Amino acid sequence: MLPEASIKKKPFALDPRTKLLLVFMEAVFVLATAGGEHLFFMRIALTALPFLLLLTARRYKTCAIGLAVLGVCTVLEYLVFPQVSGVLAAFLLIIITIVTRFFPAYMMGVYVIKTTTVSEFKAAMERMHVPDELTIPLCVMFRFFPTVHEEAVSINAAMRMRGIQFGGGKALSMLEYRLVPMISCSAKIGEELSAAALTRGLGKSRKRTNICRIGFGVFDWCVIAFALAIIVYWAWGFVQ
Amino acid sequence: MRYSVCACYYCLLGLGVCAVIEFSHVSFAYAANPGQQSLCDVSLTVHDGECVLLTGSSGCGKSTFLRLLNGLIPEFYPGERTGTVTIDNTLLTSASVYEMVGKIGTVFQNPRSQFFTVDTTSELAFGCENLALPEKEILNRIHSTVQRFDIEYLVDRDIFKLSGGEKQKIACASVDVLQPGIILLDEPSANLDYKAADDLRKLIQAWKSAGKTILIAEHRINYVWDLCDRVVILQDGAVAEDLNAQQKEALTNRQLNEWHLRSRARVSPQELVAVRLTDLRENSETESIELRGFSYQYTKDRKLFALDDMHIQTNAVTALVGNNGAGKTTFLECLCGIRKCPGILRYKDKEYRAKERRGLVFMVMQDPNHQLFTESVLDEVLISQPEQDKEAARGILEKLDLLPFAERHPMSLSGGQKQRVAIACAVASECPILLFDEPTSGLDYDSMRKVSAIMKQLKDTGHTIITVTHDTEFIETCCDYALSFGGPAYDR
Repeated sequence: MLPEASIKKKPFALDPRTKLLLVFMEAVFVLATAGGEHLFFMRIALTALPFLLLLTARRYKTCAIGLAVLGVCTVLEYLVFPQVSGVLAAFLLIIITIVTRFFPAYMMGVYVIKTTTVSEFKAAMERMHVPDELTIPLCVMFRFFPTVHEEAVSINAAMRMRGIQFGGGKALSMLEYRLVPMISCSAKIGEELSAAALTRGLGKSRKRTNICRIGFGVFDWCVIAFALAIIVYWAWGFVQ
Repeated sequence: MRYSVCACYYCLLGLGVCAVIEFSHVSFAYAANPGQQSLCDVSLTVHDGECVLLTGSSGCGKSTFLRLLNGLIPEFYPGERTGTVTIDNTLLTSASVYEMVGKIGTVFQNPRSQFFTVDTTSELAFGCENLALPEKEILNRIHSTVQRFDIEYLVDRDIFKLSGGEKQKIACASVDVLQPGIILLDEPSANLDYKAADDLRKLIQAWKSAGKTILIAEHRINYVWDLCDRVVILQDGAVAEDLNAQQKEALTNRQLNEWHLRSRARVSPQELVAVRLTDLRENSETESIELRGFSYQYTKDRKLFALDDMHIQTNAVTALVGNNGAGKTTFLECLCGIRKCPGILRYKDKEYRAKERRGLVFMVMQDPNHQLFTESVLDEVLISQPEQDKEAARGILEKLDLLPFAERHPMSLSGGQKQRVAIACAVASECPILLFDEPTSGLDYDSMRKVSAIMKQLKDTGHTIITVTHDTEFIETCCDYALSFGGPAYDR
């Protein structure tokens, strides 16, 4: 495959800026429930949106798992909740509220992380004139967390083999046992990573090229129009 | 400018080739360790288009030499330098690492930690983007590198899902797109198996034919031995021997060993597989461990390995060799029960399922950093013992030359020492079956001999050892059996 082909935008791929807008929308209207009852149907649409986007990104498994969790919660809310009372009801209410409010925003986050490359993200931040001081640490995060995750998996396996497990009142030292190798491994990797990046000129010139093509397409405008519609509808509620 | 034209004119007339790198009485001590001279009084000239192998035992100053060239010294590793270093007729003063970008490219040892992005195409573009080259130029360069290195299949992949060998190919390619005239490789094969080292060799060959000046710092010299025009042996920071092509050819393995160097002979570990599994089964009067029904698959349609029946001699050292991606490490993880697997292990007339194997099987991982948790070496051994016993713990440390470090923090030790701490834990756990994953990767000759001696010692104390390795010398030194693992390699 030619590199040219690989940097072209895929159909239905959103611009990172549109994605950021959507995360913002989820946070304001679903998580913080701005607008209250007035926006009930909009909220349902926003809840469905991350799942639709996951479908366009061919993340069928993630989408199915998410839908299953949301489905179970809906069943709990409408079928089980009216039947119970007391402590159990309170407990159920907490779970239902947390999942239905947090989950759409979380799924949108999953969609954004899984479909955005470091270069796309960096290009978008540059277009928005976000300073490098903020962008570069965020870019490193993209790389760093999966690396730390890999380390954590190996460390966990080693602990299991050596029969060191949580319990027996040693929870604190267990946490330490886990953190110490993780910190030292991460620090070492961080150092080697910086050395490698320096020899390839990271930070050499103030202006950097970015071969990644971002930009708003038809699909972006549709999504942005949808977001604007919600905001206008919300504002309309205040006027009335 | 005029000066360099003159210099090249001189070259044509006189020497025939230009000197690209010139070290003149260079000494260096790291700021972190000012008492020790990492390089002392090194004078060396490398000519245009030469392929130089820098070798010597651990800590001889190979890496320091390369870091002085690529500018990581003093930018990243500060220290005290005397003498002069000249590259392309420019005197290196306190030149920043950035001046070297595009002139010198460096491939590092650890494939896990030299990538900045998460997908291969961005990674290839990364260096050029930093130099603010125009987009079209970057794409052309990537295209040309990808074609020359024959790595179309690696374009646009998730770097986290690549094998070690594939990662190292991307590392080389991302250096190549910057089109440097000088290429430095700092132990590039330390984490690679036999086949991947072969692939790396091909890339170095391609650079050599393109006329690049290449410096390779390596312990494992066999895969590049016939490729290099010159071998420089460093000892305690000084040039001990500088051999040209003819002198190099005359060098025997014995002489190399006297220099504490690894063998120059390139022998595939597969060639050492003398005992086939069937032979071992027929010979089963002697006691053996029986492994039944070990299989593993990532996804439904991708089976990694499936072993119906396998016998491993007890009280012996067995080497498992096999191709890249045959699942050797995963197999070890299944054996010691940290990965779910249906297999059953039969040892001394008792059958053990995955969960029951804790306390029976102990694995020393390739990166010992992952399995050391506590604040001191002694604590590390103590938590491994079924019943904590300080005297016994000290005894174990003594046998492994670790007693002087008993109170040290494991993370402050060297790589080899960390590995020995992990072995001490294995002994302390009283597990009769010990697994080792590539115990000699990246080790010099002396350290390899030391690990071999420990293996023999463990065997004498009644342990059964299974080790995954690609290190032919190591197999020859201490392994009793070599079994071929995985796929078509079974019926060699």
